[in-house]
Amino acid sequence: MHLSAETYNIQQAFSRYCLTGKNRRITGVQPDRLSWYREMVFNILTEALEAAFPIAYANLPQRKWDSMTQDFCSHHACKSYQLWKMPLEFYTYAVEHSWDEKYDIPYLNDLLSFEWAELELYNMEDLPTPAFVPQGNWLHDVILLNPEYRLLAFKYPVQKETTRRKLLQQVGAWFVLLYRIPVTGQVQFVELSPWLAFVAEQLYAGITLSDILEYAPQLNITVTDTLASDTITFLREMQTRQLVLGFQP
Amino acid sequence: MVGIGFRREFAEELIAGELIRPDFIEFAPENWMHIGGHWKKLLHQAVEKYPVLCHGLSLSIGSPEPLDQEFLRHVKSFLDEYQIQLYSEHISYSKCDNAHMYDLLPVPFRMDAVRHISSRIQQVQDFMERPLVMEIVSYYTPVAAEMSEVDFICEIVRQSGCQLLLDVNNVYVNAFNHQYDAKEFISQLPLDKVGYIHMAGHEKVLPDLIIDTHGEAIIDPVYDLFEWTIQRLKPVPVLLERDLNIPQLPALQGELNRLKSICNKHWSISHALVGGNI
Ligand SMILES: [Fe+2]
Repeated sequence: MHLSAETYNIQQAFSRYCLTGKNRRITGVQPDRLSWYREMVFNILTEALEAAFPIAYANLPQRKWDSMTQDFCSHHACKSYQLWKMPLEFYTYAVEHSWDEKYDIPYLNDLLSFEWAELELYNMEDLPTPAFVPQGNWLHDVILLNPEYRLLAFKYPVQKETTRRKLLQQVGAWFVLLYRIPVTGQVQFVELSPWLAFVAEQLYAGITLSDILEYAPQLNITVTDTLASDTITFLREMQTRQLVLGFQP
Repeated sequence: MVGIGFRREFAEELIAGELIRPDFIEFAPENWMHIGGHWKKLLHQAVEKYPVLCHGLSLSIGSPEPLDQEFLRHVKSFLDEYQIQLYSEHISYSKCDNAHMYDLLPVPFRMDAVRHISSRIQQVQDFMERPLVMEIVSYYTPVAAEMSEVDFICEIVRQSGCQLLLDVNNVYVNAFNHQYDAKEFISQLPLDKVGYIHMAGHEKVLPDLIIDTHGEAIIDPVYDLFEWTIQRLKPVPVLLERDLNIPQLPALQGELNRLKSICNKHWSISHALVGGNI
């Protein structure tokens, strides 16, 4: 490397200041101009986070949000060379540092995971759509689903509630499937019962519905007369909503 | 050739080509790589309609740490996929200790930094198999400078063999903020190496400080400096950068027209076709 240790240290001090806002004493700078850099770097990071997590930003207490962004910018080295992927690092950082406990926001991880999944699905590279036919036997044919999806399990219903009180009241097992509509590129989500979440997971693994239904008793699912027909009704509805593509030819 | 930065805010209008119709578009690979869905479709439509130049953000040529080889590989395949005719970047750093900051920080004007940056430019050019066009960035404070800005730039061009992206607004902003003469600065540059020009608006935030926001229309003194400058250059592509505070599109088209008429006045059409990069 051609860079001297001294120049390296100066560049390091300058960038550390931009990320932390601390230790302004840097060799050979105009002190009154330095803070502009801190402001610009911090704004770029926080604005990207606010845009990625609009529900969290709008609903978490401002001082907690500010403390989180400050902590993240100061202590985390962003690895992504694409700004739009940086919020994933924020979500990961929140989980690794148990921010749900530290900030007493039990639903934080669920919320960040939900918002990140929505953004990631919206932007992510196109996946090939398998060849399918629109009609087939719901029980015995392999049902093909939209490959651009995320199936998430939450403790709190962050997909439909935003206030703390309502979220905490409804602690439980929530399942949400997000998927990208092929033509428009818009992201939709559907709330699933534990049974339908299991069905979706198995259908994605290529298991037929009749085989999935055999597992129902082992999952403590009450096998009613209408379980199969209710499941098929749901899948038909999902075909109109472009989650179910059709059947393997 | 006068182009405009391709932005999501007016992507559909650019593709329609009615309210605004540049000669080419420019975008940052980092904003469009590994993207699918809606925006990928629009990107494809835009690339079909216009020639494209790319202006990178995350190369961080001035970083102390080694170049990110994986990043370079992805950029190269992106440039190849879209048959990008010119790849430019910034003489600055946006990453340190492997932490991306997503902004352009000023490199100390020092000879060791010149050597460091020049050898990295060569590495990138070799890897990319295309010339790098390096932009003189706006900066608000020098950092531990041991040489003048113009000597720093000239020496990088000489040692690396890169081309220059002359952002006329940046030079105007820097000349104002650091109290030097913009024309004198430009006169001292290796003008035969200029391969691309940027133009933009800025914002005066203090009596002695202009911030390069790309959020306003180009002001008359910057047009004047542009006109003065291009008389000293061979024809090259000219880009209007507008990132914030996007106006009605006919106003942007008006800026493109004004730039084009200045170019046409000084660069004859036949000359431009021979000398232009696209
Ligand atoms: Fe520029």
